[in-house]
Amino acid sequence: MQPATQAWWFAAGRLLGTVLVGAGAGWLVGRHPWAGLACALTLHLAWVLANLFRVEWWLRHRNYADPPNVGGVWGEIIAQIVRLHRRKRFHKQRFVQLMRQLQRSTAALPNGVVILNAQREIMWFNRMAARLLNLRRTADLGMRIENLLREPEFVRYLAGSDYSTPVVIRPMNGEDSYLSLQVAPYGDGQLLLLVSDVSRQMRLEAVRRDFVANASHELRSPLTVISGYLETLGADPALDPGLEAPVMEMRRQAVRMTAIIRDLIELSRLEEGNEAVVGEALDVAALIGLLRKDVVARSVRPRDVRVRIDSAARLLGSESEITSAFSNLVDNAAKYTGSEGSLEMRWWVDKEGGHFAVSDTGIGIPPEHIPRLTERFYRVDAGRSRATGGSGLGLAIVKHVLQRHGGTLEVQSRLGEGSTFTCHFPPARILPVTQAASAATA
Amino acid sequence: METADLSHHISRRFNEDLERVRSKVLGMGGFVEQQLQKAITALVEGDSSLGESVALDDQQVNNMEVAIDEDCSKILATRAPAAGDLRVIVAIIKTITDLERIGDEGEKIGYIASRLATMERPADKYREIKHLGRVVSEMVHDALDAFARMDVESALRVARQDRLVDEEYEAIQRQSITFMMEDPRTIRRALDVMWVVRSLERIGDHAKNISEYVIYMVHGKDIRHTSLDDVERELRGGTAAAVPPASA
Repeated sequence: MQPATQAWWFAAGRLLGTVLVGAGAGWLVGRHPWAGLACALTLHLAWVLANLFRVEWWLRHRNYADPPNVGGVWGEIIAQIVRLHRRKRFHKQRFVQLMRQLQRSTAALPNGVVILNAQREIMWFNRMAARLLNLRRTADLGMRIENLLREPEFVRYLAGSDYSTPVVIRPMNGEDSYLSLQVAPYGDGQLLLLVSDVSRQMRLEAVRRDFVANASHELRSPLTVISGYLETLGADPALDPGLEAPVMEMRRQAVRMTAIIRDLIELSRLEEGNEAVVGEALDVAALIGLLRKDVVARSVRPRDVRVRIDSAARLLGSESEITSAFSNLVDNAAKYTGSEGSLEMRWWVDKEGGHFAVSDTGIGIPPEHIPRLTERFYRVDAGRSRATGGSGLGLAIVKHVLQRHGGTLEVQSRLGEGSTFTCHFPPARILPVTQAASAATA
Repeated sequence: METADLSHHISRRFNEDLERVRSKVLGMGGFVEQQLQKAITALVEGDSSLGESVALDDQQVNNMEVAIDEDCSKILATRAPAAGDLRVIVAIIKTITDLERIGDEGEKIGYIASRLATMERPADKYREIKHLGRVVSEMVHDALDAFARMDVESALRVARQDRLVDEEYEAIQRQSITFMMEDPRTIRRALDVMWVVRSLERIGDHAKNISEYVIYMVHGKDIRHTSLDDVERELRGGTAAAVPPASA
């Protein structure tokens, strides 16, 4: 039998005994069994109340370590309470330990972590965040983050809702450093702010950019001299006929090298300015007309060159950059399409913005190469672009130009059937027809 | 202490309004800080397009000032704040005026920077201006931090730093005069440099003003035109009497 059941039997027995003894004593003393019974039950009730009082007193004073020595059912209840309390304390300790470990590990993170509530108030941050953002350990809890981190780029980023990419800021307190900040929303409107120091990466990036720009500039002048002499040499009637073919090849390669260097310089110029360009309203239809003329003037060209202008809306952008991007795309299409194929340029506007597409019926691109097409010097196959004299930088230029205009490049292609390159521009870049007309008259 | 008071205000909406305006002020401050830093970079690195963009962007600072001013008037008219809340509004109205002036000085520096970029650069590459610029930028930054944190100690430190800026200003002025006497051809440039240094010195004064408003906002004491030592003594005496000796 379990101790608890035993205690209950015992209690029932005691009650029965009390009733019997009380009634018997009443009968013996004055033939009043009921009076005796009442007395005995009152005494029993008093005893129960006394026990109840001790238990309540003990609970009230939370003296768990020293439970009162009460027998019977009350003793069982006390034992249960003590057991419950012990279990609770055990779980609490384990929880606290876990919390402490978690906190210690996040504190040791090499990146800064700040937890913000829905009102953008700082709830918690680790040591690295305190160091990188100059936060004070306890005084800054409950402060709005944008009150302390006032860099306009960050304030704009936080106010927006697109947290997919980090924002890089130059903190105004420090020396020449860069911080990368990214927000990750979680839970009920709470935000996790991740901070890392990217000064080293930014500096390396700057060094790389400068190197490419300087190297291409330095290479340009010697190449001009070489090209000049090759030109003279090729035009010299006294040239040994055996040397004619090599000189022709040297001239071709020099032209290609000039093209590569020109594209490199253009690329580094595009990278230099990080800000988005404002630009002027461009007449895309006129631009496409010019591009068409260029294609038609090529010696080898697709037989069928079509132009489709579905909108008179203008594009806000830098004329030289957009021209360079579009002509790169058209150039590629013309190059990879045989004289039997066709080429189409199209400009249209819908509610997602403006779109410029170049479609061809050329050789096409295998799907596995498409994601890497815009990398510098990336070649689908070794012979392809070199044979046609490309620099390998054209699509990288296109990508950069589109980035600076807030646009994206979409490539669709089927091997052997042709490709379509589409530039998508956001609606903010499009000047609708009516506005464009009034801008033209103004 | 004061921030806690702000958050325990009876009207929740009012509190949020006040907090939003405060955030706006600090956002404006952040923009002005960046303008100042860009202007100094433009000058030191001879970047004329950066200088021009600073001069152009000053319009945004003016717009922000107008918008915040309007918010403050609205709060004053509809909520009729009293005591601490009123002081916050008054301090905000004054602070944005100083921030706008800092923006104007930044615009001036940016404009001069774009002009100086086309001229021959001095041998020291504007080292003094770079140094003074950093001190002044830090002052503005710390003053705004003190404003955000309602931190009287930092505010006092900023106010003290203004003397250093004044000394530096004198030194650069003397140096420029020497240059001008040595070689009159540099006078044109030296005059432009003097304008920049003068602007920086003014920005230091505005930063000092902002930190004085912080003290006014927290303690309700107007400390303008009083010596800093007196202010500090009085503030310390005040706090020592108000708080039990545990903090001492």
